[in-house]
Amino acid sequence: MATVQKLPGSSTSTASSYGSCRVDDEQFPAGLRVLVVDDDVTCLRILEHMLQRCRYHVTTCCQATQALSLLRERKGGYDVVISDVHMPDMDGYKLLELVGLEMDLPVIMMSADGRTSAVMRGIKHGACDYLIKPVRIEELKNIWQHVIRKKWNENRDLEHSGTMEESDRFRRVVDDTEYASSVNDGTDGTWKSQKKKRDTKEDEDDGELDNEDPSASKKPRVVWSVELHQQFVSAVNQLGIDKAVPKRILELMNVPGLTRENVASHLQKFRLYLKRLSGVAQNQSVLPNSFCGSVEPNAKLGSLGRFDFQALAASGQIPPQTLAALHVELLGRPSGSLVLPAVDQPVLLHASMRGPKCIPVEQGVAFGQPLLKCQSSTQKQLPQSNIAVEDMSSGFSAWSGNQFSPTGTAGNLGGVNKSQSGNLLVQMLQQQHPYPVLSESNHAINVQPSCLIAPSQSSNGFQIGNSNVPINRNSTGDTSLSSTSFQVRSNALPVNQNSNYTNSSTVMDCSLISSQSHNVPLDVEQVPDADLKNVSVLNGYSVPGSASPSVSSCSVRPESCTGWKVQNLVVNVAPASRLPAHLPSLCVQGSDPKMIALPDQGRGRNLGFVGKGTCIPSRFAVDDNESPTNDPSHWNMCIGNERVRVKQETVLDFGDGFEGEHAKLPHFSPSDLMGVLSKDGLAGCYLKS
Amino acid sequence: MEVACLQRRFIDLTATIFQQEILDSQFTQLQQLQDESSPNFIHEVVSLFFQEAEKLLNELSKALDQQIVDFKKVDAHVHRLKGSSASIGARRVKDVCIAFRSCCEENNKDGCIQHLQQVNQEYYLVKSNLEDLLKLEKQILASGGSIPTMK
Repeated sequence: MATVQKLPGSSTSTASSYGSCRVDDEQFPAGLRVLVVDDDVTCLRILEHMLQRCRYHVTTCCQATQALSLLRERKGGYDVVISDVHMPDMDGYKLLELVGLEMDLPVIMMSADGRTSAVMRGIKHGACDYLIKPVRIEELKNIWQHVIRKKWNENRDLEHSGTMEESDRFRRVVDDTEYASSVNDGTDGTWKSQKKKRDTKEDEDDGELDNEDPSASKKPRVVWSVELHQQFVSAVNQLGIDKAVPKRILELMNVPGLTRENVASHLQKFRLYLKRLSGVAQNQSVLPNSFCGSVEPNAKLGSLGRFDFQALAASGQIPPQTLAALHVELLGRPSGSLVLPAVDQPVLLHASMRGPKCIPVEQGVAFGQPLLKCQSSTQKQLPQSNIAVEDMSSGFSAWSGNQFSPTGTAGNLGGVNKSQSGNLLVQMLQQQHPYPVLSESNHAINVQPSCLIAPSQSSNGFQIGNSNVPINRNSTGDTSLSSTSFQVRSNALPVNQNSNYTNSSTVMDCSLISSQSHNVPLDVEQVPDADLKNVSVLNGYSVPGSASPSVSSCSVRPESCTGWKVQNLVVNVAPASRLPAHLPSLCVQGSDPKMIALPDQGRGRNLGFVGKGTCIPSRFAVDDNESPTNDPSHWNMCIGNERVRVKQETVLDFGDGFEGEHAKLPHFSPSDLMGVLSKDGLAGCYLKS
Repeated sequence: MEVACLQRRFIDLTATIFQQEILDSQFTQLQQLQDESSPNFIHEVVSLFFQEAEKLLNELSKALDQQIVDFKKVDAHVHRLKGSSASIGARRVKDVCIAFRSCCEENNKDGCIQHLQQVNQEYYLVKSNLEDLLKLEKQILASGGSIPTMK
């Protein structure tokens, strides 16, 4: 079972009200409020004068009891206390103790007795300093440091306690709903009170701390494995990121052993992660127009190509209903399962986008902005070697066909797959490539949406999100951008499937749109080579504005279509080995990344979505294991900054429709064919017999 | 003319006091703390010290006069005198107080009485010197001169 790795909740900084000592004052430490207690009036007078010289605000007092009453009357009225050790009415240590208990102020002890034992005693009682008389002004000039140090230590302790006592804190929270927010906000009050409690104990015995919270040591570590995170993400998606609270997420996940606190900390991280992403994404918010925009050769999407694609299967024959059923089935499955359930004759299309080299960036299909700024980096990052194609089937079909694309891409990854679920299964086989940096992935995502989704759709965080998601994956896989698997069907894809994913609908639409609305010329070529069984190259599809009826929300502007046209229409059907060379250059219409800016929420959702998408076993199996961190962030999208090795297999099932391996391919009418675009636009389609 | 003479006497006296370690650098610091905002600071502090010290010396005499000496009490007085003398920079008083305390710890009555005498001597020595110094200071100021700054 999944182990859960506990993520320490980030602690909010304490309400750092140095207000009392006015640390934020430019004059600081001038004005520091000091209470001096000494029965020696000579000494007291001298200290007073010295402290005044230091520009502190000094209150003197020659009796300990009087000092205590002063402190009690004016709580918060002093920043630091300087006390003599030997006083007739009350021992200085006693005063120190009481002050420590009641007001938690820094106390400086002083005495003419400089013996080590005396100093030690002062320290043990919690004195923050011990001055030996005669006190020199040099020492007093520096006492403000104790005030600051105490504040900082408190903050640190709070953080500490935040982790240590997290479970307790959680347990105390009764209402989940409120709870969720409280986690993020950090309840200072609670922590503070805890802190105080602990402080008192610390005075007695520091070691006690560890024993204080047994749950801390006994708490099992929770490792957020891929599957676990997927479950988490799908639960969050189901609830909606805004409404997701630990308790409900936990219920939905239904993982034995997982505690609410685990979920809460994970959720917290997840939210932070989304926040981070949103920051990245802001620039890119609006996509729609970008479509229309001219293709920018510069877009370096192509680089992504390093992914290996396996699996492009399009089975046109499977009726939507069936697909839907499959879809459900798939969804139902645990994320872990990569295998496509229902495909009788799965055709694996491997699009091996190998060398980034192969694909010139320019060639890389740019879907508008999506092009990740990062991509260039990604290319660097991913050496060809990195890419391991597990199942390289003999046959490759490369599609240049980004054209479709915009939709296609989106569809491919997320929605498309789903919609066609039976038809297209994209499994991400191991992509040993590091994931593109988050930013990249995001961009990628963005691109698609723009392409696919009409502005109206974009309005919904989700939709955009969805579209994004698929893209992300693609980007992650590198393939995503380059490879888009399209099914061109005459029939509209069932929207139903979409329902599962809130966002999914959009995705689906896109795919549908592309396929349906437009007549996309698909060139299917059979590759004679044993190695390459079927190579179908989709050459530039031009998708005119496509609005599939089914999806009202998605309206693709015809205009955009032009933009989408893939410059590199040429599809080379080459053996896998060749693929790199063949990689068609995709022109990404240059939408600037900026265009795609998604609202934060949208992003958040997107991520969530992505997560789900991943969950779908057949489609994507992403193994995070190799990724250094199990963090949701990584996971979430390939978005994670960190490179995650992902296994991606894209399996295209041509359902029953394909009887003969190769033979049938030709038969497919364009509509039937699924176009699989590899990231760079190169898609190797491997038909697995 | 007279001011210069007073100032020279002040300097000589100060030098002697420090040379004999009747006072130490702590007193110098107190002198430096005296400024326009507190022109009588030294005088004020010294007066407080006198009162405090004499009170303590009386207490000590009484305590050591008892048949049964409460050494704890004696020690507390000595400790306090030590603190006061240290604060004012009366080095020799302070030094005697340290030795005095060790006698208290040993419950050495004779030693305590002996040290009490020493402390009395040292106290009156520093007192007279301080009084001389303050007197000179007052005269200098009265003559319109300024107090020579000590190093």
